Amino acid sequence: MSLDWHGDPVHREEMNRNYLSRRLAPELAARFEDHYLGCDECYAELRAAELLIQALGEPILERHRVNDVTVLRFTEPSQLLASSLELNELSKAIRVENDSKVLIDLSKVSRIDSTGLGVLMHCYCHAVKNSGVLKLLNPDAPVKRVLSVTKIDTVLQSFEDESAAIASFQASPV
Amino acid sequence: MNLSAEELEKLRRKLRFKVCHEVGFACPDVDDIVQETIARFLAASEEQTIRNKEAAAAFSNGVCRNVISEYRRRSLRDEPMPEVVPEPPGRALPEADLFEIRQAIAHGLAQLPDRDRRILRAFYLEEKTKEEILKQTGLTDQNFRVILFRAKEKFRAIYLEQMKHPSDRRHSGI
Repeated sequence: MSLDWHGDPVHREEMNRNYLSRRLAPELAARFEDHYLGCDECYAELRAAELLIQALGEPILERHRVNDVTVLRFTEPSQLLASSLELNELSKAIRVENDSKVLIDLSKVSRIDSTGLGVLMHCYCHAVKNSGVLKLLNPDAPVKRVLSVTKIDTVLQSFEDESAAIASFQASPV
Repeated sequence: MNLSAEELEKLRRKLRFKVCHEVGFACPDVDDIVQETIARFLAASEEQTIRNKEAAAAFSNGVCRNVISEYRRRSLRDEPMPEVVPEPPGRALPEADLFEIRQAIAHGLAQLPDRDRRILRAFYLEEKTKEEILKQTGLTDQNFRVILFRAKEKFRAIYLEQMKHPSDRRHSGI
């Protein structure tokens, strides 16, 4: 059976992605290798996909600790909307690590919708259930407005200054 | 069947990538495996075992698989299998001599709009299907293809640019 390696570009990218993550069945991987070893175009596409994956692999949610407080910060402009993939990252970061004192830096978050608020509240409930505290840092004006309108700002404390936020965790120990 | 020096160099580069993919980029014997593959491939060419260029790629891949199997058997005989199998080496490129590549791919990524990066992360890193992404983001099939094409175009150009200076890229498999 002959495979059409040059037919659909999306299919070719799926092949590149699955090959690079070693998820192709061995027989299919061998046939793909048979092909790219003789095809300059497909080889260049494969290597370009590898570079792209490497670039994308840089984390979008950076985590660091100040004293015993975990600070989560988006490394690039983000949106916490139903359609955004940052929501998964944020939710995973909170649920997996089980930190008791968490400060989420929202300075790079330009928009938030009801799903984003839901995830923030879910993260807050998770922290509280684990006898923890979750606070927000530097929400942008539009985000601050949404937090205020929904009265979530009465539950989730926000700070403009990181050191003040860190100090507040010490003032109100868990 | 005779390959020109240029064709042979291309094949060597592709085989090197294939070997790195299979045995890990950190394996110290990658070049030996590639060299042995090419030596056997050339010997078969001289004996007229390979009839045409189309079959040459698949043939070289078969030879390479054999060489890798022999290498693995030899390694297992010499060094018994550790109780805990180590994680495969990360696919990140080595730090020392690849600063330029890192700069280039970071620059390439920075040129893509935020939305494109989110879509590409979903496709390449979270390994979502095109259909899942379209459903989650509300993009059309055409939008998705444009995003993919735009990113691949940039990273293909970065890869081809790196190829112009291959002498110091040996460790990356480029």
